[in-house]
Amino acid sequence: MTDLKDRKNSKQSSPSKPLRSTIGLAATNRKWAIASLVPVFLLLFLFLALPAANSIWLSFTKWPGIGTPEFIGLRNYETLFTEGRFAESLRITLLYSVVASFFIVGIALLLAVAVSSNLKGSKFYRVIWFFPGVAPPTAVAIFWSLSFQPEFGAVNAILGFFGLPSDNQWLAQSATVMLPVIFVGIWVGVGFAFLVLLGAVEGIDVSLREAARIDGASQRQQLFQIIIPLIAPVMFTILTLQLIWNFNGFNLVFAMTQGGPGRSSEILPIFTYVEAFRYGRFGPASAAAVVAGAFLLFVGWLGIRLSRSRQVD
Amino acid sequence: MVIVKMLKLLVYAAVIFWSLLVLLPFIFVSLFGLKSNTAIYSNPLGLFDFAPQWENYVTAWNAGPGSDATIGVFFLNSAIIAITALATSLSISVPAAYFTSFLTRAWNQRILLLVIVGTVVPIIMLVIPYFRAFNALGLLNNPVATGIVYGALNIPTAFLLMNRFFIDFPREVLEAGMLDGLGPFRTFLRLVLPLSKGQIVAVSVLNLIFAWTDYQIAIVLLTRRDAQPISVGLLSFIGDFSADYGPMFAGLTLASLPVLLLYVFFSRYVTKGIALGGISK
Repeated sequence: MTDLKDRKNSKQSSPSKPLRSTIGLAATNRKWAIASLVPVFLLLFLFLALPAANSIWLSFTKWPGIGTPEFIGLRNYETLFTEGRFAESLRITLLYSVVASFFIVGIALLLAVAVSSNLKGSKFYRVIWFFPGVAPPTAVAIFWSLSFQPEFGAVNAILGFFGLPSDNQWLAQSATVMLPVIFVGIWVGVGFAFLVLLGAVEGIDVSLREAARIDGASQRQQLFQIIIPLIAPVMFTILTLQLIWNFNGFNLVFAMTQGGPGRSSEILPIFTYVEAFRYGRFGPASAAAVVAGAFLLFVGWLGIRLSRSRQVD
Repeated sequence: MVIVKMLKLLVYAAVIFWSLLVLLPFIFVSLFGLKSNTAIYSNPLGLFDFAPQWENYVTAWNAGPGSDATIGVFFLNSAIIAITALATSLSISVPAAYFTSFLTRAWNQRILLLVIVGTVVPIIMLVIPYFRAFNALGLLNNPVATGIVYGALNIPTAFLLMNRFFIDFPREVLEAGMLDGLGPFRTFLRLVLPLSKGQIVAVSVLNLIFAWTDYQIAIVLLTRRDAQPISVGLLSFIGDFSADYGPMFAGLTLASLPVLLLYVFFSRYVTKGIALGGISK
């Protein structure tokens, strides 16, 4: 009782001193905050906002790469939506981004839960599982595309070892090319998502899981009734980030397939790059980029909304 | 009890499977880099049954942008880009993330949101305007200018991770600084920065990895071979060495080594720094 009373008293009197000095600190630092934010927003304006606006303007013009862009209204958008290639590229991009991202978050969650339950060697896993995300995508892509070669590639050799069909022309056929691409996308992406989710899982109060265990909750119940609800905001955030990153997954896919065979693995960033820098069609390329930007802005907004609504405070 | 044991076994199996899936490619790449073509074809999985071909590394090293240039040129360009990017993003985002953490929580959140909304803008929406501007300003094929682009694009992530860290920074330390008569900036410089080393290292490594490995911007802004970084330079390896895989794998190893070593060396900070981004606030 006295303890409680003491605490109540101290709550009223003693914090007033640190509180006042913290306020003083805040006031003097406010000027510094404004001053230090000026270069941040200046650079973000110069390198993000301005080019994005320029890209929107270019999407209404005809520009072959030299000279002055000529305003042609919505013609680029008409071209995009009447020619089937853009729709096809959009479909491939969504397929790649959605499938890879959900697998990444799912696998990362399982690994994070496994490692957080005091598994031996967890420090080791924590370090090595991020290797694929650290190595240059060019190197990763070259290694894996050789592994998916029909004759001497490791993947077919392993399939053959298990008695499965081992003459697959993975990357050479339009029908199968996205499978290896998605696989490698997952292989690269899991590490980062794992580290973020592990941080969230380990942030859960240990006593909460302990109490559930004592109450006889099974591993599965703990996972679905404690861990997942508590880390849901982080899961939504990382899923949103993955969707955005994989949507932009130029580095990996371009080095693996260059968008081929034909244009069958041409995700939107490759479509834009090829249209602009190979065919000199900067107008339609910008229009495609603008559609992608608008879409991702929507995904990002949705992700933030969902993450906020799941927040339990 | 049996079920619990089996579950544990399953967890172990999954963890080991994923570890092998992650590690084996790295082991194979470094082994293939030491094998002759015949050894790669005849027994690709052999671990010790081959004579190491160190000259693969010499061949790879000499496959630079020109007949008399080595891939050292690519490495130098990568280093210039990465260091410029790091200097740009750290010097701008760390002080801002620190001083912003003194604002009210609502304002801190608003500014954070405004800063990180930029990460949603796809790079493809930026490369064409970058190309136009760099072309007009005569900055194409200039690795320093390209480095500044990578630095600017790194600001949102750096700001986010540093801000998360500074919000939980012990206020007593700062008050000690005030009492010692240090102004806000000198408190930041002398007391806060040394205590933030871990998080700054984490942000720096992530930053360097991005600038070293990405090539979506570099491939557009650096078109001349001798201005390109290793991430772009490697792209031609698959064509150049399509009949001679040993040197190609040696090249892949060389290109990956700097970032992997950097990461392994600082992994403690990096894994913690990323995890901090996941703590929901």
